[in-house]
Formats: sequence, C-alpha cells, structure tokens
Amino acid sequence: MDFFSRLIDRMFLNTPDTDKFAPEVVFEIPENALTEALHIANAPVKSTVTTTWVIIAALAVFSWLATRNFKEEPEAGSLQNFVGALIESIQALVKSTMGEGMQKFTPYIGTLMIYLTIGNLMGLVPGKDIFRLYTPTADLNTTFALAAITFLCIHYFGIKSKGIGTYLKDYFEPLPFMFPLNLIGNLADPMSLAFRLFGNMLGGGVVIMGLLYAVVGLGIPGIADLYFTVFAGVLQAFIFAMLTMTYISMEME
Amino acid sequence: MGEISNLVMFLLEWLNQFSAETLVISATIIGAGLTMIAGIGPGIGQGFAAGKGAEAVGKNTENSNNITLVMLLGAAVAETSGIFSLVVALILLYSNPLIGLQAAGFVLAASALGAGLAMIAGIGPGIGQGYAAGKGAERVGSRPEYQGLIVRVMLLGQAVGQTTGIYALVVALILLFANPFLG
Repeated sequence: MDFFSRLIDRMFLNTPDTDKFAPEVVFEIPENALTEALHIANAPVKSTVTTTWVIIAALAVFSWLATRNFKEEPEAGSLQNFVGALIESIQALVKSTMGEGMQKFTPYIGTLMIYLTIGNLMGLVPGKDIFRLYTPTADLNTTFALAAITFLCIHYFGIKSKGIGTYLKDYFEPLPFMFPLNLIGNLADPMSLAFRLFGNMLGGGVVIMGLLYAVVGLGIPGIADLYFTVFAGVLQAFIFAMLTMTYISMEME
Repeated sequence: MGEISNLVMFLLEWLNQFSAETLVISATIIGAGLTMIAGIGPGIGQGFAAGKGAEAVGKNTENSNNITLVMLLGAAVAETSGIFSLVVALILLYSNPLIGLQAAGFVLAASALGAGLAMIAGIGPGIGQGYAAGKGAERVGSRPEYQGLIVRVMLLGQAVGQTTGIYALVVALILLFANPFLG
C-alpha cells in the first residue's frame, strides 16, 4: 500500500520544474588556440544547438538510406518511393503557391518544412530530459535565424528579379507618403514570423505541457499533447513555410 | 476634489511603505493578467472564420478540403496576437528583467503594468485577421481554382493588419528590456 500511495503522490500535483522551460547549457567550447582566435572560447553551448545537431544527423542518415541504391523505377513500399512522393508533394505546393518557374525554391522550402515539423514535434520524444533534447524552435535564436534567412531571400530575389530601380520605387507605391509604412511593414513581416513560431512553441508547447505534466502525471497530458504539440506544431511549421513562400513570391512579381 | 486628492495621497503613501521588490512583483502579477485580455480578439476573429468556413462547406461540399485548409491557415495567423500576449505574460512571470533592478519601486512597477497594458492592443488584429480568414475561406469555396491567388492576398492583408500588434509588442519589450527611465 505504501508503494501505491507513493506512486499516487508522484503522479499528481507536483510543483512544476521551471528550469525545463529554458534550454540548459550542455557543454562549453573548450579553450585552445583556434577558439581563442575566433573569440568563442568558453562559450556555453545550449541544448537548442545540440538538439539541432541531432536532427541534422538524423536527417542526413535518413537521406543516405533513402538514396543508397538509386533505381529508375522504385518498387512500391521502398524508402525511395516514400521520399519521392514527399518531394513531389512539396514541389506541387511550391508551384501552387508561388506560380510557375519558381522550382528553385523547393530545396529551401522543403528543408524548412521538414526541419520545422521534426523540431516542433520534439516535445513528444520520450526521455527527452535524459537525452537533453529541447524543442529547438522554442528558442528565439532558432526562429530568428530562420526568419533572417527568409528576409535575405525576400530582398535578394526581389532585387535580382525586379532590378534595383523598380525595387526602390515599389516602396513608394501606391502613394509616396506610404514609404515609412512600407518600410516598417517589410521589417515587421519576418519579425512576426519569428515571434509567431517562437511564441506558439514556447508558450503553447513547452510551458503548457510542462505545467500539465506537473499537475497530472498520467493520461491527460498525452491527450493534451495531441493538440498542443502535434496539431499546433505541424500547423505552425506549415504556416512558416507558406508565409515564406508568399512573401518571396510577392516581392518577386 | 480635496477628498479625492487626499485619498490618492493616502494610497500612494501606503504603497510607498512596501519594498521595491514587493511593488514590482505585485505589478508584474497584475500586468500578466491584463496581458491576456488580448485573447478577446482572436476568439472573435477565429469564430467568424470558423462560421464562414462551415457555411462555405455547406454550399460547396466538393471543395471542403480547400476550404478547411484556407480557414485553418487564416485562423492560425489570426492567433498571432494571442501568442504575442502569451509570450509577454510568460516573460513577466518567469524571467522578469525588472526584479532586482535598483530603481524607484514605483517606476519598476509602472513599467511592468505598462508592458501588460500595451498587449491589450492585440484585440484589434485578432478580430480583423479572423474576418479576412473567414472571407478568404468563403471565396475559395466558390472558386477553388483561384485558391493560390486568394490565399496570397489574404496573407498579405493579414500581415499588414498585424503591424499594430507588432508595435504593441515592441513597446512592451522596450518597457521590459530597454527601459529609458531605468538608467
């Protein structure tokens, strides 16, 4: 009976562990001549970065396995068939959102969707505390970096396809006094991309699930995970990619 | 007028007896609560989007996949104001930069309260973007071949409509992290 009472005690109404809401330092970059020259000696490396490395390694192994024995006609049920179907669906999405002739964006958009989907679903991995895994998109650094890449893509491809004269003139459309509003709007778009993904993953994922697991240890957090982590995670990854495609194609026309 | 000013002075002197840290913590708690009033906006907006989506599916049952996709897309963008408010509330509760600063207690407390009040502006974009989502879902139902164009215009309009919400977020973050009145 004592065992059961201790089990019930541990399952319900604990205080939430607020240290788990922020990424923890996994190791520090060692001090040697190279890192001193680059000024990164003794810099803390957090679990966001190490989780991203784990995702990169997993995706690299998966890609190698899928394209190992490259056949012209893949047989049904093989990994190459599945990956081929995935690539074709991403190409169809890019074509329907950005128009014809924009297939060069498929690698970036596809990488965004796959990386964000896996990253957002890291809250489901069992034993993620032991392996020191943390949802990488629940850190503003990750989402800001991706939004910065999108920002550079928007303006680089906008200038390249429209020419710098038309690009600058478009800031004064439709009326000349709207220049500051257009400027702030262009800056606010990637910022809202970063904050939307960060807020959804940190607030709607890490914090809420952390609090829920402290209150009830069994059953109910699993059902809540279906909405907060799975549905919200996949939807936000999709939204990020769709908005990236929309901003790039609008700037290029 | 004399009685009112006496009452205000009495209240301020009563507040002044507490330490700065108590004042900041109390104001943080109230500010975090006030922040979430912005949840009114996305509630109304996403409800409108859901209603328009249901209506469109009722009229054009063969396009229900397109309609659902556009409705979810627009509703998720309308959610952004609520997410911004949640982020500010979590910053206020779990990693408050104002606690532990050496400054007048009233100024710190007012900064925390002001950051919370600023996020109430999220009501507006929530309602507006939800309206755009509903109208987009409705039109995609009747003309599914124009889905790409409709979604692009909807997302463009929603992004422009988000700007006042961004302004509010910037002001709240300035008050918390780069406050010009706290040295």
